[in-house]
Amino acid sequence: MLQIRDLHASVGGEEILKGLSLEINPGEVHAIMGPNGSGKSTLANVIAGRDNYEITGGDVLFDGKPLADMAPEERARAGIFLAFQYPVEIPGVSNLEFIKAALESLHEARGEKPLDSVTLLRRAREACKQVNLDQGFLKRGVNEGFSGGEKKRNEILQMLLLEPRLALLDETDSGLDIDSLQTVAKGVNSLRSAERSIVLVTHYQRLLDYIVPDHVHVLSNGQIMKSGDKELARELERKGYGWITQQEEASGA
Amino acid sequence: MNLAEQLKEQALTEARRQAAREDGLAALRREGLAALERTDFPGRKTEAWKYTSLRALEDGHLSALAPARELEAPADFGGHRLVFINGRFNEALSQLPDEAGLEVIRLDGSSEAAPGASTEFTTPFAHLNAAALEDGLMLRVAANTAVETPVHVCFVSSADSPATSHTRLHLELGEASSLDLIEHYSGDGPALTNAVTELHAGPASRLRHYRLQSEQTESLHIGSLLLVANRDSRVESYQLMQGSRLRRNDVRAILAESGAELDMRGIFIGRGKSHTDNQVCVEHRVPHCQSHQLYKGLAGDEARLVFNGRIHIHAGARQSSADLTNKNLLLSRGAEVDTKPELEIYNDDVQCSHGTTVGQMDHDALFYLRSRGVDEKTAQRMLGLGFVNELLQALPHEGIAEWARPWLGQSLEQQ
Repeated sequence: MLQIRDLHASVGGEEILKGLSLEINPGEVHAIMGPNGSGKSTLANVIAGRDNYEITGGDVLFDGKPLADMAPEERARAGIFLAFQYPVEIPGVSNLEFIKAALESLHEARGEKPLDSVTLLRRAREACKQVNLDQGFLKRGVNEGFSGGEKKRNEILQMLLLEPRLALLDETDSGLDIDSLQTVAKGVNSLRSAERSIVLVTHYQRLLDYIVPDHVHVLSNGQIMKSGDKELARELERKGYGWITQQEEASGA
Repeated sequence: MNLAEQLKEQALTEARRQAAREDGLAALRREGLAALERTDFPGRKTEAWKYTSLRALEDGHLSALAPARELEAPADFGGHRLVFINGRFNEALSQLPDEAGLEVIRLDGSSEAAPGASTEFTTPFAHLNAAALEDGLMLRVAANTAVETPVHVCFVSSADSPATSHTRLHLELGEASSLDLIEHYSGDGPALTNAVTELHAGPASRLRHYRLQSEQTESLHIGSLLLVANRDSRVESYQLMQGSRLRRNDVRAILAESGAELDMRGIFIGRGKSHTDNQVCVEHRVPHCQSHQLYKGLAGDEARLVFNGRIHIHAGARQSSADLTNKNLLLSRGAEVDTKPELEIYNDDVQCSHGTTVGQMDHDALFYLRSRGVDEKTAQRMLGLGFVNELLQALPHEGIAEWARPWLGQSLEQQ
C-alpha cells in the first residue's frame, strides 16, 4: 500500500529524513518510535502533504503512485488520514459542517452519492459515543476551546467517520490520561481490518499495550535504526533510546 | 477642469433640470441644489476620500436612470415588501402594509409631507440626491406601536449604460414604538445607486435595521446613512455588503439624547477588483449613551477594503461608553485593506476602546481542512465564512442569515 524508498525530506531547508525506507502492507499496524527530533512527525507530515515539508530525494508511493505529485486533499481522497499531533482550532466552522464537507469530498472522489443529512447526523452521533464525546461537540467550532484530550478524541471521531485506508496517528497518545488513552485505542482498534493500515507515531510504549502493532520501527537521526515486533517496544521501554543510539555508535566505530 | 470640477458641473446640470419641477418635493430639491452649489466634489487631496477615487464615474453617470423593464424581484424575507426599480416605486411587486400605526408615505411629489434636507449630510452625493429626487419613501410609526412584521424595502437598479438612480428612505419611529426595517440594494450593469437613508428613533423606541448591498460587481453604490437615536432608544444596525466597482458608504450615527444605545455591525466582502469604502462616524452628543461597533472584512483577489471608524464624544457627553472593532482577513496577496480608527474625545468621564486588525488566512487551518479531503477553494470559503460567522449567528433575523450564508459563500468562491 505504502512504499517509502530512501526518502530524504527537509523542513524549512533543514534535512530531517536522511534515507528512510519502509513498506506498509494492507492490514498491518506499524509503530514508529524514536527520541525527540528523530523525524517521526516529519515522516507523518510528509505523507499527509504539509507545506514546507519537502521531499528532496527518494520516493513515497501510495498504491504505486508518487505522493509528491498529489495535493493534500488528493491524498485524503485516496484514503490517507493524518490525526494531528496538535489539532487546529477553527472558530466559526462547526465540527459537523467540517465533517460533512470532508465526507462529501471523499464520496465525490469515489463517485458515490453524498450522505443525506439524517444519516450523517446519526453516524456522527454514534461516533461521538464511541470516542466518549458529548454530541454537543458536533455543533461547536472545530476544536474550539476543546481540552487536549478532547481534541485527540475529535481526531479519532473524524477518523472513524472518514474510514481511511491508511491512518497515521501523530503522537495521538501524548497528553492523554489513561481513560482517554483507552478510548482512543478502542476507536483505533475498531478500525483494524485486513484492508486498512495504521501507522502509530509515538514516543512511549504505553499506547502499544492497547493497540498491539505488527511491526515496530525505531527512528533515529532521520533513518530507521532497528525494526522488530512488539517485543522491540518493550525492550526500548526498559533500556531507553540510548540503547539504540549507542549500538549505532558502536557499529559505526 | 479637473475631475471634481467636472463632476460638480454634471451634478449641477442634472440638479437644475430637476429643480424646475414644481411638486411636493420642490422645497427639498431647492435645498439640495443650494447645498450642492456650496459643496465641492472630493478630489485627490480630500482626506475622507484618500483611498477612493471617483474615476469610476463615467460620462453621463450622474444623469437619471431611465425606468427599467420588469426585473426579477430580489430575495423575499417575508413581511411587508416595498420595491423600487431604478429609483421608482413599483406597485405590482409591492405589498403596501396595512398595519395600524404604520404609515407609508410616497415621496414622489404627490404629497406635501416631504421631509426637509437634513443638515447632517455633508457629501455632494447626498445633496444631489435631494436635488434630483423623483421618488422615495417615508415610513412613520405612531407612538406605542410595535410593528410585528418586518418592513422590507428593496431598491433594484439595473442599467445598460452609466446612469444614476437616487433612492431615499426616511423613517420616523414614534415614542416607545418598535420596527424591524430591511433595506436591500441589488441590481446589475453600470448603474450608480445614490442612496440616502435617514432613520430617527424616537424616545424609548427600538429599531432593528438591516442594510444589505448585493449589487453585482459591475455596479456602483454611494450611500449616505443617518441614524439618530433619541432618549432611551435602542438602535441595532446590521450592514452586509459585497464589493463592487465602487462602493462607498458614509454612515453617521448620532446619539442625540441620554440613555440611547447603538449596536452596529457589518460584514464587508471584497472580491475581484472591487472597491469598498465605509466611513463610519458615531457621535455621542449627550451624557449616558452607549455605542458598540463590530465590523469584519474579507478581501480577496485584487479587492480593496477601506474602513474609517470615528468615535466623536462631545464635551458634555459624560459617562459615554463606546467601543469599535474592525477585523479583516486578507485572502490573497493582491488584496488590500486600509483601516483606521479615530477617536475624538472632549471629555474625561468616558469609556472608550477601539481595535483594528488585518490578518491572513491561517495556513495550519487550511492544511487541516485539506488533509481531510476538502479542496483548497472550499476550505478557503469555509474559513472565510467561519471568520464572519459570529456576526451571522448573531443576526436576529433568521431569514436574512440564511440568505446571507450562501450569498457570502458565493462571493467568496468567486475569488
